[in-house]
Amino acid sequence: MVFSTLTFLYYFLPAALILYFISPSKLKNTALLIASLVFYAWGEPKYIILMITSILIGYASGLLIERFREKKKTARAVLIASTALSLGALGYFKYSGFFVENLNALTGLDLAIKKVALPVGISFYTFQILSYVVDVYRNDVKAQRNPIDLGAYVSMFPQLIAGPIVRYSDVASQLRSRTHTLDKTADGIRIFVIGLGKKVLIANALGELCGVYTNGSEISVALCWMYAISYSLQIYFDFSGYSDMAVGLAKVFGFELCENFRYPFTSASITEFWRRWHISLGTWFRDYVYIPLGGNRVSKLRHLRNILIVWMLTGFWHGAAWNFIIWGLYFAVFLTAEKFFLGKYLKKSKLFSHAYVLVTILISFVIFGSDSMSTAGKCIGGMFGLRGLPLITDEHSYYLRSFALVLILAVIGATQLPKMLTEKVRTTKSGAAVMSVSEIVFVVVITLAATAYLVDGSFNPFMYFRF
Amino acid sequence: MKVKNMITVIIMAVLVFGMSFWCWLKKPEDFSDSERRVLKTFPELSAETIADASFMNSFEDYAMDQFPMRDVFRGFKSAAELFVFQKLDNNDLYLQDGYIAKVEYPQNDKMIDHAAGRFRYIYDTYLSGTDTNVYMSVIPDKNRFLSDKRNRLSLDYPEFIESVRSRTGDFAKYIDITDLLTLSDYYRTDTHWRQEKITDVAERLASAMGISLSGSYTKNTLDKPFYGVYYNQLALPIKPDELCWLTNETLENCKVTSYNNKYGQPVEAQMYSMEKAEGRDAYEMFLNGSDPLVTIENPDASSDRELIIFRDSFGSSLAPLLVDGYSKVTLVDIRYISSSAVGAYIDFKDQDVLFIYSTLILNNSLAMK
Repeated sequence: MVFSTLTFLYYFLPAALILYFISPSKLKNTALLIASLVFYAWGEPKYIILMITSILIGYASGLLIERFREKKKTARAVLIASTALSLGALGYFKYSGFFVENLNALTGLDLAIKKVALPVGISFYTFQILSYVVDVYRNDVKAQRNPIDLGAYVSMFPQLIAGPIVRYSDVASQLRSRTHTLDKTADGIRIFVIGLGKKVLIANALGELCGVYTNGSEISVALCWMYAISYSLQIYFDFSGYSDMAVGLAKVFGFELCENFRYPFTSASITEFWRRWHISLGTWFRDYVYIPLGGNRVSKLRHLRNILIVWMLTGFWHGAAWNFIIWGLYFAVFLTAEKFFLGKYLKKSKLFSHAYVLVTILISFVIFGSDSMSTAGKCIGGMFGLRGLPLITDEHSYYLRSFALVLILAVIGATQLPKMLTEKVRTTKSGAAVMSVSEIVFVVVITLAATAYLVDGSFNPFMYFRF
Repeated sequence: MKVKNMITVIIMAVLVFGMSFWCWLKKPEDFSDSERRVLKTFPELSAETIADASFMNSFEDYAMDQFPMRDVFRGFKSAAELFVFQKLDNNDLYLQDGYIAKVEYPQNDKMIDHAAGRFRYIYDTYLSGTDTNVYMSVIPDKNRFLSDKRNRLSLDYPEFIESVRSRTGDFAKYIDITDLLTLSDYYRTDTHWRQEKITDVAERLASAMGISLSGSYTKNTLDKPFYGVYYNQLALPIKPDELCWLTNETLENCKVTSYNNKYGQPVEAQMYSMEKAEGRDAYEMFLNGSDPLVTIENPDASSDRELIIFRDSFGSSLAPLLVDGYSKVTLVDIRYISSSAVGAYIDFKDQDVLFIYSTLILNNSLAMK
């Protein structure tokens, strides 16, 4: 199930809230687990068993590791087995086709490529289970003895299918006890509605604009730029909108989740961009891959190797295709360059550094969104006038004019400007009063507008579903 | 802060839970009058449909179709798209100068080929070697008069007409009517032209076919507002149209026969159906709407000339205006009857044959059989 559907907003969510809030404190996690399993089964009935099995393996692994903590070899063996099982399931469902295809291409073999449907959210919950088991092994957290609580953590529906990737250590105490207050609920509602608006009103509109490029037969320089800009913004509003909805909903259920996006397009370097983009994934790879490999406290060559491994895996996590691996390595190149020499130049000019980041990011998302590198090359070549394309056509001018305001709003919305403005208005007493009323009106209007867009049943895919 | 948060929670709880209860309690509707389509009903609930996820997949469609105040929300969305986000269209529909029109773009040469191919088939099968006189005409859609206002996408009409002419010119004489049409000749809320405004078009066509029309008409007006097909699609509260039809003694004396039943048997019909005028689409009052084959016999005709019109729905309101010059007018809609079956109903010999279609149908002609 997706948040931005009428089924979720007006059927599932009210039922889940009633079930949760009528349950006594002791049973709240059980209620949350039941709601989450229904939520997951709604979209993936046959894969619910896979998720429950993964949770049980994680649960048993945590307990075994704790039990054999003194017998390091046994604990290590449990860790390895658990990791292998988790990654094995992820590998089978997500990457087996890719590996067989490339093996066939490399060796000339003709192994059958079995089409396996990707279970929704598997990349997210696998990483959560992995982090839990590793944290128990490192003795950073105690193993969870209650399978319901661990199940509620992994399958918690607000973050189940698209993150953020919540660390067990961040919510362990909240699983035991958490508060539900009016202020927290209101705050959660506001964050959720902002996310809903980002997704339904902005991201979907930008998706339609992207469709002009992907479904059209004629292209121009302007269309290539329009596509690169709108696709980058669409991914941002789609994914950050979903993360906002997750954080907001979790808050209503009493949880505080980490922020996943912090205005990434305003970054002055790619290094900064990745501190602001999909923060929970970046920190996961930092803590569970980069640092264990030695991080930067090794020789230059090994440091370079570590960067390449992490970014190749980051790319590969997003999808079983070469364009994702190249996308990850593309960032590795810029991050390395910034680390070793480019960083100091970027500090000299704000204008240059922002322009550099934006162009680099736009190109990266063209690679990300393409089904092959030749498709990406065509668009990138077109952006820089390398293909003898017309500057703009009447049709592309029409769509540019039609979506101009959406694009402007999206660009402004991707910066801190709205937040800064509202904070400024709040500094005076009358301004604060106006803002209080405006916020209530805003929440209601955005909810009704999003409902109207969903009722009209137009374009509503969710991009991060495939990850 | 506390008060603001309390109000936020209360309003949102009322909104979400209220709408939720309404969703559950609302009696499902079978048909949407405004969208003219059957609505999704509650999907089959069984262990099998849950296991294969078909229940869940169908549920969202059901939720969308049966949502309370669906048309109000659709209108809200249209307003947001056109007036807040300043989009040039909403689901291809736009509002300009009080008229609703649909973006028709780009020119689809394959569709024109298909339509022209059907016309050629009719010519080769039934008309070639007979004494029939064959004519062709194209009716431009409303975009021709509206698209320039904000430089919207539209067909290149001269090029479009030339494309049709070049594909049919060897067997049909083209009659140009475009200079006679203006925006006010079309309904504001519907795709079609207004019968009371196209008497000059009928005269031009008749004259080109060597017929003079002498009829004068009485204008009749439907005593309720006419909400055209675009009105309901856009779902914005704009001023509805007035539906008028023209009558005279000749038309009143005509006998109209329709072949709109599954056995192809003739049934008596009306030139202007008041039953249809009261129905879902009032424009269907003209010659019974989308009938595959209709004949109009004119007992007052001064000659025995006959006219066969291959047409779309624009032809329904045009045909009565041509009746004056003919003893019999036959209307054929090859979207509802196969071209190969037409010969079973019409004996082609020396009639005037007019192919007249709107750009909307010619550019989307797959339904022509």
